[in-house]
Amino acid sequence: MRANVYLPKLTKVISVKEEVGGVRSIKTFRTQFLDGGFTHKCGQCAMLSIFGKGESMISISSSPLVKDYLQFSILKMGRVTSAIHDLEVGSIIGIRGPYGNAFPIESWKGKNILFAGGGIGLAPIWSVLQTTLLLKKDYGDLTLIYGARTSPDIVFKEELADLKSKMTVHLSIDVAEPEWKEFVGFVAQNILDKKPSPVNTIAITCGPPIMIKTCIKALSEIGFKDDQIYTTVENKMKCGIGKCGRCNIGRHYVCKDGPVYSWAELRQLPQEY
Amino acid sequence: MDKILAKKDFPRWLEALGAYDVYAPQLIDDVWNYELAADPKAVSLDYPQTAIPAKKIVFPQREFFFEFREADTDDYKLKELLPEGKPTVIFGVRACEGKAVTLTDLVFGGEIADDYYWKRRNAAVLVGLACASPPSTNCFCLSVNGSPHSKEGLDVLMTDLGDQYYVEILTDKGKKLVSEGGAIFHEAKPPDKKAAEKIHADSEKKLARELKNIKDVPAKLKGMFASPFWDDESMSCIRCGICTYLCPTCHCFDINDEVESQTPLAGRRVRTWDTCQFPDFTMHSSGHNPRPDKAARLRQRINHKFQYFVEVWQNYQCTGCGRCITLCPVGIDIIKVVEKVRDHAS
Repeated sequence: MRANVYLPKLTKVISVKEEVGGVRSIKTFRTQFLDGGFTHKCGQCAMLSIFGKGESMISISSSPLVKDYLQFSILKMGRVTSAIHDLEVGSIIGIRGPYGNAFPIESWKGKNILFAGGGIGLAPIWSVLQTTLLLKKDYGDLTLIYGARTSPDIVFKEELADLKSKMTVHLSIDVAEPEWKEFVGFVAQNILDKKPSPVNTIAITCGPPIMIKTCIKALSEIGFKDDQIYTTVENKMKCGIGKCGRCNIGRHYVCKDGPVYSWAELRQLPQEY
Repeated sequence: MDKILAKKDFPRWLEALGAYDVYAPQLIDDVWNYELAADPKAVSLDYPQTAIPAKKIVFPQREFFFEFREADTDDYKLKELLPEGKPTVIFGVRACEGKAVTLTDLVFGGEIADDYYWKRRNAAVLVGLACASPPSTNCFCLSVNGSPHSKEGLDVLMTDLGDQYYVEILTDKGKKLVSEGGAIFHEAKPPDKKAAEKIHADSEKKLARELKNIKDVPAKLKGMFASPFWDDESMSCIRCGICTYLCPTCHCFDINDEVESQTPLAGRRVRTWDTCQFPDFTMHSSGHNPRPDKAARLRQRINHKFQYFVEVWQNYQCTGCGRCITLCPVGIDIIKVVEKVRDHAS
């Protein structure tokens, strides 16, 4: 019999890493299922359970090609994510999923991919970035344009340093700092500055709503067509399966029909995200 | 074959249904509702519209998903709490509510079915009562693809012929339920059928309200998303949510953990009805709210029922029971709102 969809599977936290400290703390967690588990696609999310606190929908940032753990990078924000930040190695949490559609990376084979992320927005696209890196021969040039408010707010610092030998990486921070050698300004400004070619290229952008908006505008300005631009949307969710009624944008439930949209699709929908 | 049941024999039918939990409309604390019928003799099918629709029996206002219990340091035991117990039979279901259940079936079904809903739904037998006259002054079922004697979603349809009921068996579940009554049911004769048909035809003429010519409304709504219309229409809303809580087709819900013990941690995950009319419904933990005001929330209610649901399921998510009109404390009238949409200059 098919399992009850609302019953989470138990998983053990196998690593906790602080990416960013302070009040807007970000931590990366890796979990392993105690029994069974699931396989996901790039861009899909999972519902994390902290028993006694509730559930939160989080995008899976590890590649589906990595089979022995799931990775989540989580900004401390509400009741559940604050409780998640208190977890330690060995803690048990519940996970159900995977939910939502996925980035159509199969159909992107042979194309260049431009990743444009801001802040914690690197997490949802990290899964695609890692997967396309592992399958590098199937794809063209890979480029990352990533920015954060200040240099301490940058996530995946070590991984980004390591990435520079494998792909083109452009970083930015919003306001100048004495030691900062790279671009100063918003991600959208960095896109206009670097002007990556839209030829045979797919752009994926994710970050705070205002960043997504300005990045899409910048990408359009340098010649990307609406169907070459992809993003992920988030709305408040409870069920994850299109039934509880709160994450809809028009007739779409983001949990089920999203979270991945091309700009060509998303611009047809009402502005309710 | 259709049956006839003498009204005096109706309690005998109920008495024969010991294998079921029997729900019927009852007047408790001045409010009519579908409640467990302890005394078959006290059940009457002469009742106006209930306050809470019959959906509460297949989709209760509050139900448990599972129990969690801290077993060891950081380990947990989960115990699934799927509904159990007798099958249920609901008497006196109005046509609009039977149809409404067919709409919640669509939502809770599909590729990823909701086990809790279907456990109750599959165990429920819906016995309808045709409305000889509208049970509410705000009924408008005929305008939204329904009728006062619609059979949609029902297992049995009863029609009041005075001293007796005309009983139409619509499904296998209904057939079994009628067979429990044994010899109290008699074969219906052609004049009985004629009498029932006349009541059905007459009932269609008695509705006081209608919502005409709405086939272009879904397309119209699409173009009105950014209109100030919604500010005007929602001005009086006090965000009580009654329009959605008591709607037979509304299905939105919340999921929360209720802690019963801290050490060891133990509690239950609970599903409760929720409403798109509350600001918290869509508010992100960051404080950002995609539906920040009453206008956006009224627009969501109307758009969901008359545009989004139509786009996905080719039917209005409204069966014309009129509860949201009757019970709205400030008089927001869905018929008038949709009429204004229809007549809005595009």
